[in-house]
Amino acid sequence: MINRTMLLAVSLLMLIMSSGCLGKQEINDLAIVTAVGIDNGENNHVKLSVQIVRPADARGQTGAPSGGTGEPIYSIQATGRTIFEAARNLARFSSRRVYWAHNFVIVLGEGYARKGIADMIDFFTRNHELRMTTWVVVTPEEAGQVIATITGMEVVPGEAIDKLFRYNQIVAEAPGTNMMRLQESFLAEGTEPVLAKVQLRPRGISNKNPDQFGSLDQVVLSGAAVFEGDKMKGWLSPSEAKGLLPFIEEVDSEIMVINCPDDSNNHATLEIKSLEQRVKTRFVNNQVKVQVAQTANANLVEMGCEQPFTEIKDQMTLALKQKLENQVLKTASAAQKKYKSDIMKIGQVFHNTYPLEWKQIHSEWNRYFEKAEITVSADAKISSPVLKIQRFVKGDGLSLKSK
Amino acid sequence: MALIMNVMYAKAIGITQGIIGREVNSDMWLSTVLGILQGVAVAYIVAKLMQYAPEFSMVEMAGKLIGTWAGKGIAVLIFLFFLGTFATVMVTFVYHLMDYFLPEAPTILFVVAALMVGLYGAYHGLEVMSRMAFVGVFSMLTLNILVLFGSVREMDVRNILPVMDSGLVPTLWASRHFDTDWAFAVMLIALLLPHVKRSARLARVSAVSVGLAGISIVMWPIMESTVLSAEATSQYIVACMQLARSAHIGLFLHRYEMIMIAFFATSSLIQVMMCLFCASLSASKLLGLKDYRPMLLPTGAILGAFAYWIVADHMRAMEFTAHQWPLISLPIVLGLPLVIGILYLFFKDKLKANQTPS
Repeated sequence: MINRTMLLAVSLLMLIMSSGCLGKQEINDLAIVTAVGIDNGENNHVKLSVQIVRPADARGQTGAPSGGTGEPIYSIQATGRTIFEAARNLARFSSRRVYWAHNFVIVLGEGYARKGIADMIDFFTRNHELRMTTWVVVTPEEAGQVIATITGMEVVPGEAIDKLFRYNQIVAEAPGTNMMRLQESFLAEGTEPVLAKVQLRPRGISNKNPDQFGSLDQVVLSGAAVFEGDKMKGWLSPSEAKGLLPFIEEVDSEIMVINCPDDSNNHATLEIKSLEQRVKTRFVNNQVKVQVAQTANANLVEMGCEQPFTEIKDQMTLALKQKLENQVLKTASAAQKKYKSDIMKIGQVFHNTYPLEWKQIHSEWNRYFEKAEITVSADAKISSPVLKIQRFVKGDGLSLKSK
Repeated sequence: MALIMNVMYAKAIGITQGIIGREVNSDMWLSTVLGILQGVAVAYIVAKLMQYAPEFSMVEMAGKLIGTWAGKGIAVLIFLFFLGTFATVMVTFVYHLMDYFLPEAPTILFVVAALMVGLYGAYHGLEVMSRMAFVGVFSMLTLNILVLFGSVREMDVRNILPVMDSGLVPTLWASRHFDTDWAFAVMLIALLLPHVKRSARLARVSAVSVGLAGISIVMWPIMESTVLSAEATSQYIVACMQLARSAHIGLFLHRYEMIMIAFFATSSLIQVMMCLFCASLSASKLLGLKDYRPMLLPTGAILGAFAYWIVADHMRAMEFTAHQWPLISLPIVLGLPLVIGILYLFFKDKLKANQTPS
């Protein structure tokens, strides 16, 4: 009898508890955010722009589908004293609940980034909806304008920027900075945050007016923004960003254009297939010395030189080595002299090598980093001319024997 | 073995690691390893001690050695131990589900749901819970594999260097937080020995179980440090969820923490069941009852009320879990076997005279 009563009581309790779905969110009640832009507003306010996808119009077809508007995205903007207040203010005119879980990218305006991004990092890492793999970028333009610009073949701009990052590794001119990596570098001692740079450039050609080259703005991912603490200090050029990448992430591929040994007006292009880097630090006479050693393996992918590859291979290898070394030194110069910010994770390497010394100098690490002596040695190998042995020259026999 | 592994797992991978990270930063994995070694040793010693009178639990042993009232005193201590343990188990269970999945649901819902499942399991007894624990071990392994696959590409070994950066003493001291996790397992050994058939192998099995649980746990601080960084891990209350929501397999499988939480909850619910079972068992010894089942509902009410009071306020919950609980639980789990062991040395003849448990 007791068992039956218990069973009945438990069943009733379960029935009561299952009758409502607490915290439910119907998909057609949600405004799915795919990109966020943050700029400075007036009166010390934050201007938050969000790009919301219209599911009915973002199915990949052209023109307005039945019941749709033809506009795949709906971009709105609100201001507030904090990001959360601005996000809540969006609800004043958004007919659906703003939902962050599918956000691809957070675009920060330069002015906002220079003022400090600590509150942005806190908001987005405290929010359980947001993905930690969301990309974070800085733009010299208005962030709200960047997120509303349709780029590439995607109908949703946020998705386009996501794919720019996905295939950015073949260009290797901007770091792949997501919220997880940003939070890590922001909190860690011995390294400073660096974020990818995006900007609008007239790179698109209108199908209707093909003669008007550059009539369409496209979002270009190239370069990087340097921070010290949470404040942006300046920009790295694409080539400086290229030199930075092996210090902060794995480089899968990049290209190097070198002058031909006999004619500097002609060029050969090398595709680096693997780039390994080792960084060692020494502490001598209260000065930090940094040794960077790179080992690159490249393929010849385009030959503009007149001389046969087999004859100039050694000279090309030497040119590649010098190019790699100069690239790192250029980045180091920008980090040490221009920005005085350790974006190269040298402090982390020093901390791992000299933990006791680090405890004494970590509070003034930037001063030590600024004066650190950085030497670079590159070892390169051009292992393959891919499909052809040498450049095609009219009338030539194309055989190794003839050379 | 499966029970011991389950009761150590859920809190140790997340809440504990966040707390340890706040004390010793990137040495959190080392602190956990030191904790595992201590756990293996204590589990072995306690199980060995219990083997001197395998037909008695620790409460019964104390009763036989120094009298009924002393036994009841020990039962009260053990009940209080499980009262506190249940609160930390609920901190783990509730904050995983509520903070990351159902922030708008009331806290009481999670406490009541866990109590219902826990009481159901505890009512059906040790055998049912042990079978459930096998599913729990499968869940633990699956969860480990899922998070490993989703995070391995993001690992940066430089984040756990230099080793022992915080120094040996602070790293060892920080291991007290992990010690509270194996404390539950050690108490389980002390209470459940009379229920185990092949008790002769118990000492070795106990030590191996704590060691195996430790191996499946230590993967988490290593991954949390290398993927998120120790600094980021120490920012969070539930550090493992931060790792879980950052995991992704390839380009297309993102945000599969909903799958992972199902495996986690299985293990966590076994902790809830075991807490209720052990607390009811000690309550029944206190009142001199033969069966623990009549004590399940009152025990559930007391444990549930206390756990709700703790989890209702995040700051109170973390203050209790990080600062007060290690100072309460460790003296109990280390002191009780020590006292019983000393008493055994002086009064072992008295114990041998008793043939059957009370």
